[in-house]
Amino acid sequence: MDPGADPRNRLLMKTILYAALAGATLLPAQPTKTPDFTGVWGPFTAGRGGGDPKLAPPPAGQLVLKPEYAKPYEARRAAEAEANKRGEQLASSGAQCIPYGVPTMMSVAVYPVEIIQTAKQMTIISEAFSEVRRVYLDRPQAPLEDVAPGYYGRSVGKWDGDTLVVDTIGIKTSASGYRGMPHSEKMRITERFKMITPDVMHDQITIDDPVVLEKPMVYTLAYKRLPNYEMVEFVCDNNREYVDEKGVVRMRVK
Amino acid sequence: MKSRLLNVLAFAALLAIPVLAHHSFTMFDTTKQITITGTVTEFQWTNPHSYIEIDVPDEGGAIKHWAIEMGSPSILQQSGWKFNNLKKGDKTTLVINPLKDGRPGGFLNSATLPDGRVLGNGPGRGPQK
Repeated sequence: MDPGADPRNRLLMKTILYAALAGATLLPAQPTKTPDFTGVWGPFTAGRGGGDPKLAPPPAGQLVLKPEYAKPYEARRAAEAEANKRGEQLASSGAQCIPYGVPTMMSVAVYPVEIIQTAKQMTIISEAFSEVRRVYLDRPQAPLEDVAPGYYGRSVGKWDGDTLVVDTIGIKTSASGYRGMPHSEKMRITERFKMITPDVMHDQITIDDPVVLEKPMVYTLAYKRLPNYEMVEFVCDNNREYVDEKGVVRMRVK
Repeated sequence: MKSRLLNVLAFAALLAIPVLAHHSFTMFDTTKQITITGTVTEFQWTNPHSYIEIDVPDEGGAIKHWAIEMGSPSILQQSGWKFNNLKKGDKTTLVINPLKDGRPGGFLNSATLPDGRVLGNGPGRGPQK
């Protein structure tokens, strides 16, 4: 006999169905699905980018250095501008093929970055100079005194809804800072990675340095997805730029 | 008109973010363009820059060697370049910004390949892909 034919059975089945539906609505809300940033990302406004201006990042905040750091910084910028007028460039780490490190490697000219994301780690590879940084997603930040100062320091990330918040410490003071700004070993960088659309990503970067900065410096980088792009090898083995005795960058002709 | 405004905005956005290159181009005289024609002695498809080494005869027939800087391979491929577009012995004509210090070197604007194609030097420099 068909059990559904018995009206008592039908009532029971309906009751079970309603109970299941009611139960579903009582379940706690599912956590927001975290985005997967995996892919190759080019700068939004330069080179291969050229995205919709409505999705462009907000303007950068102001860089306010403490007076004792502002003076030499401004003197250096003035010397660079002066050299520029003479048709010369003062020595910089990039011209000598020294890596940029965090956060500068996130925006080198028109070069893209590749992100490989798993549950435990986000790995970021910059095409320029093949720089690599690793963001651990499954562990806490280490105390500053346990991190050997380097170009990439130590980065950990945690989710704030659909935004990945990355904390970086341990950047060596010789690594070039935002627009050449000086920084101390106490510099802390907080990045907020967020997908603005499925093909546009923002990285809001906050540089905090209680020794050097009057207030945190905030700027946002925007990227556009480059589907199918294959990263190009970048080994700096033919650097023909050299620094002369006056500290000026020149090109070796022969 | 609208697109010009967008260009201005895009440029302003570029200025607002820290964009670094391997080095600035101040050593080259970008107000001056010269054309050289000669024979390639080596095509270096390398980082941080690629180079065309080229022997250029003057009116009297005397050979002068030039080194012409280009973008990196990543940047050049955006203008349609491949690693094997030039080889030793190829005849080519290059439009360049010469070095300000007068030495025989420069920065590529465009190159005419042996097959007649004209290629630029990355975004915003010369013909685009």
